[in-house]
Amino acid sequence: MADRLLRAGSTAACFVIAEHNPDSMRQRMMLSFRCFFSRRIAPGALLAFVVAALLSGCARESASLVFAVGGAPNECDAWESLIEEFEQRSGIEVTLQRQPTDSDQRRQSLMLPLQAARTDPDVFLMDVAWLSQFAASGWLLPLDSYIEQSGFDVAVLLAPIVNQLDIYEQQMIAMPVYVDCGLLYYRSDLLEKYGCAVPETWEQLVACAQEVQAGEREDNPRFEGFVWQGAQYEGLVCNFLEFIASNGGEIINEEGNLALNTEKNREALQFMKDLIHDYKISPPNTYTEMKEEEVRMLFQSGNALFERNWPYAGPLHAAADSPVRGKFALTLLPKFEAGRHASTLGGWHVGISKYSDRKEDGWKLVDFILSYESQKRLALELGWNPGRKDLYGDPEVLRKMPHLETLRTVVEASVARPRLPFYTQVSEVLQKSVSGALSGSLPVEGALEQAETQIARILDTYRE
Amino acid sequence: MSKSFRDVLVLIGPALVVVSLLMLLPVLGTFWISFWRDLPFAPRRFAGLSHYLRLLGDSGFRQSFQFTILFALVSVALEMVLGTIVALVVHEKIPGRGLIRGIILIPWVVPGVIGARIWQLIYRYDIGLINSILNPLFGFSVNFLGSPSGAFFSLVLADVWRTTPFVAIIVLAGLQLPSRELYEQAAMDGAGLLRRFTTVTLPGLRPILIAALLFRTMDALRVFDTIYVITNGGPGGATHSLSLFAFKYYLTGDFGSGAAVSMLLFLIAFGAALIFIKLGRFSEQVL
Repeated sequence: MADRLLRAGSTAACFVIAEHNPDSMRQRMMLSFRCFFSRRIAPGALLAFVVAALLSGCARESASLVFAVGGAPNECDAWESLIEEFEQRSGIEVTLQRQPTDSDQRRQSLMLPLQAARTDPDVFLMDVAWLSQFAASGWLLPLDSYIEQSGFDVAVLLAPIVNQLDIYEQQMIAMPVYVDCGLLYYRSDLLEKYGCAVPETWEQLVACAQEVQAGEREDNPRFEGFVWQGAQYEGLVCNFLEFIASNGGEIINEEGNLALNTEKNREALQFMKDLIHDYKISPPNTYTEMKEEEVRMLFQSGNALFERNWPYAGPLHAAADSPVRGKFALTLLPKFEAGRHASTLGGWHVGISKYSDRKEDGWKLVDFILSYESQKRLALELGWNPGRKDLYGDPEVLRKMPHLETLRTVVEASVARPRLPFYTQVSEVLQKSVSGALSGSLPVEGALEQAETQIARILDTYRE
Repeated sequence: MSKSFRDVLVLIGPALVVVSLLMLLPVLGTFWISFWRDLPFAPRRFAGLSHYLRLLGDSGFRQSFQFTILFALVSVALEMVLGTIVALVVHEKIPGRGLIRGIILIPWVVPGVIGARIWQLIYRYDIGLINSILNPLFGFSVNFLGSPSGAFFSLVLADVWRTTPFVAIIVLAGLQLPSRELYEQAAMDGAGLLRRFTTVTLPGLRPILIAALLFRTMDALRVFDTIYVITNGGPGGATHSLSLFAFKYYLTGDFGSGAAVSMLLFLIAFGAALIFIKLGRFSEQVL
């Protein structure tokens, strides 16, 4: 009886644990394989094997410099060829560690080796959303002395970005590889057809979208006025931040206090909800399904007038097989009467692991990635908006990416997500509450109140 | 130490070591971690019961707990009933029985994430299978995942679809056990179909049913992949299962709190297992 109990119970626990963490599952399988193997040798060998299995987590897997990047296949391929050039020039061998596209998964696969103080990966890309967590965890090598030695001119980088994100405790801990900002894409042909001006304010956007939507729906019942990212995930927080910031609101104020349940934020959240339920210019599945790609495909198939998306959508909309090619343009996101234009800052930055045993080589790679030529290459090949400002005047780049001019103004108007090492927790709460308000299961004020209480709790827990 | 006891120890020892390494150690490890504030960005320090106390006062955790229990109750009840019915049907000598038995297993064989993705595509508002039938016929679409109750039942349906075959196969195995004579005798004594089911089939199936119930309840309490893919906890956090709740702590790097949620979930699953083992009287009989 007791033995059965134990077995049932501990199996359950094992699965509970393993399920949360695919990596531990893998380790467990490795472990079980090793254990099985050694069972046939001798108990002493068993111990040795287990110890070996446990220790093997700390050793370096590859003799060459390890660079962890992720993203779409075309992005990984671009890195591959860029790295090849670096190897030829510097004679340093680099192993590219391919990561998934999903930002959370990329963070997890970096956190495991860093928490275990592994020497590799040496160099890696980081999403701005979790840059501060890595910095506060002390995982990033301060770059100042390397910058000084090599004579890299930090002034060529986009200052607002660097100041907001790459400097932690007065030290440079990362560098911007590319910059993302929320943008408004619109169908220039339809605005002309209906005689609408490009909207400056949200009110204008609503009026225009209602008119065009009504007109277009006569032939195309699937046509939507305005599409944006409203599903319960990180993108929702980015959109929410833009709506509140364009009304003069914020999440955490300059003094570091919570300022969530304010009049301005309630207005902005109410407006987001009204877009779906009252003005009906955003589809009902906005808060269940709309992520970047859903939104992009809707606009690209010609079924939407306005789209909020990141710069990556631009080159795809303009591709040869795109139905909206030549019929769209982009601009700053609208604002409320009393507010200002605001774009959430996104993008990926490169840093070096503090635990790396090849820091010098790591810096050479970072230096190479941030060079004018490499940045230009990435911009031309992938449509990425460079982290260097001198590229925004390069004629060849401008010819390929005419929207870069606008983008530079957008960067000036950017707002960063709260820079907290435990931002993910805060984001989780915001996602839940905002999504609750959009779905109507929570009243707007109640949602912000709930979020404020829960975030205050998180601040209490983690800030001591 | 007697010789026979030493023999037993030598024979059983390695297995015992493996079992405790693979099963007991993770549980104890999780338990240990749950007492620590283990954050990458703050000094590690002993937290005592503070994670547990915080969780018990947390509205998000309560919501998640209620959802998980309700989800397990509803989905397991449906799966048990449907699974038994399916097993009874394919136990009969119907044409194409072998083929049908094979087909029934498909949902269980499909990897969880892929099955969930299929259901997500069925439920979708814009291009979903159901709505692309509804819309042309009736001129409206339903946002299945848009309300807490809609999302709940959509998830239950996806889970029932996936795990009913599992119950059916287990019950089918149980149905092979009682001998044919027993049924013939009961029929000769004048017992009708329903009577035969309640007096011969069901008592014979009891341990099997409870075993299925045990597995299914523990699985349902730990539900993760279906929810992670279909709703990711939405709308408004209405469908956060406890596993997902713990997972989101791990995502932040807060291993202490995540471990505390895992331990509470383990206790719930363990408690359920205890009850079923007692009910099944597994210690007294050989399955």
